[in-house]
Amino acid sequence: MVTLYRPGNGPWHRLRAGPKTALLLLIVLGICLLPVTWWAAAVMAGVCLACYVVPGAGLRELGRQLVTIRWVIGLTLVGQLIFLGPESAAANTTRVAVACALAALLALTTPATELLETIERAMQPLALLRIDPRRAALTLSVTLSTLPVLAGLARDVREAQRARGGGRSLRHFAMPFLVMALKHADELGDALAARGVR
Amino acid sequence: MSGIELQGAGVRLGDTEVLRDVTLSLDARTIAVIGENGSGKSTLGRLLSGLVPATAGTVRVLGLDPVRQAAELRRRVAVIFSNPDAQIIMPTVAEDVGFSLRTEKLPRAEKAERVTAALEEFGLADLADRSSHDLSGGQKQLLALCGAFVRRPDLVVADEPTAYLDARNARRVADHLLADASHSGTSHRLVLVTHDLGLAERCDTAVLIQDGTVAEVGAPAQVIATYEAGIRW
Repeated sequence: MVTLYRPGNGPWHRLRAGPKTALLLLIVLGICLLPVTWWAAAVMAGVCLACYVVPGAGLRELGRQLVTIRWVIGLTLVGQLIFLGPESAAANTTRVAVACALAALLALTTPATELLETIERAMQPLALLRIDPRRAALTLSVTLSTLPVLAGLARDVREAQRARGGGRSLRHFAMPFLVMALKHADELGDALAARGVR
Repeated sequence: MSGIELQGAGVRLGDTEVLRDVTLSLDARTIAVIGENGSGKSTLGRLLSGLVPATAGTVRVLGLDPVRQAAELRRRVAVIFSNPDAQIIMPTVAEDVGFSLRTEKLPRAEKAERVTAALEEFGLADLADRSSHDLSGGQKQLLALCGAFVRRPDLVVADEPTAYLDARNARRVADHLLADASHSGTSHRLVLVTHDLGLAERCDTAVLIQDGTVAEVGAPAQVIATYEAGIRW
């Protein structure tokens, strides 16, 4: 899983994953229900700041998260400004940014194992549809954990292309990347089987 | 406890017969499997760890049938692969080690205790909360070993575990694998598939695989000499 978790001992870290997820979901839901006005944008920003200002999170971390999603913020802001005007743009962009930042707060303060267990519990009703919640949660976890590996493989293929004087051909990139990704999938399957996952 | 028993075992992958007529009876604690690329030695390792089924003959590992008693085999046999990146499943070092105990029916506190002890054993305690993917190659392979040994296996099958490592890290990994009194106080057997003849020499027995079948079994020095004599440069 992409690692966002930062070890700590603040209130968000001490709160268990289930109640924390529910609380953050409620806050995000509340933010979604606020009207599209200047003061609502200010309230949303205030709530987000309040969530991050507690020990264990911090405004610097909030800044890092906002920088990470700068393209989402920028695109939302520009689109809204063009079609809906400044007040709607401010309110809606703040809403999106706050929702992303609060989602990140969950990942920042909760170890992946706890998140995995929470996802498993949340998926329990899917058992009625014959979907194994344990397997579904694990699939999600493994999918996320594979992202940095795939990014590394893509970098290796691009470097190999450059080393052999290749250009930026998508075709020449896609084939070796696909082969390497499938090989990695094979090896990961073996590693999972070796660790007792059927 | 019986070790490894193969009687006329073979593995066919598609149209290719990768292993054929392999008959072995091994009871040594550490066994090296050597041979050229494509000779079938990795497939032998996968066969012993239950990752590929035998398409001919019979296989018994620690007295277990790898197909019919797969769950029990998984519990008692750990596998280490050459590519450490492919073995990382969880985002942080401690969580990745803990993942190995996911299927063990143990109290949460005992799992945490075993993870902490294993991390200390492999010198990874200071990296417990670090991102698994940000580790160096040597640290990743130590993490893979830690994830394998935390389950206290009776047998470890390691396929080229030092292939991606520099000399210092290769030595550390090899020392852990070949350690006589195993981690956490339990003793383990080892099947080491390797191109590193120095490493093979440190094992109790060696098996030479050529063209998908067993060419020789015996003392490592003697088997290595046969292997080297047969290499056409």
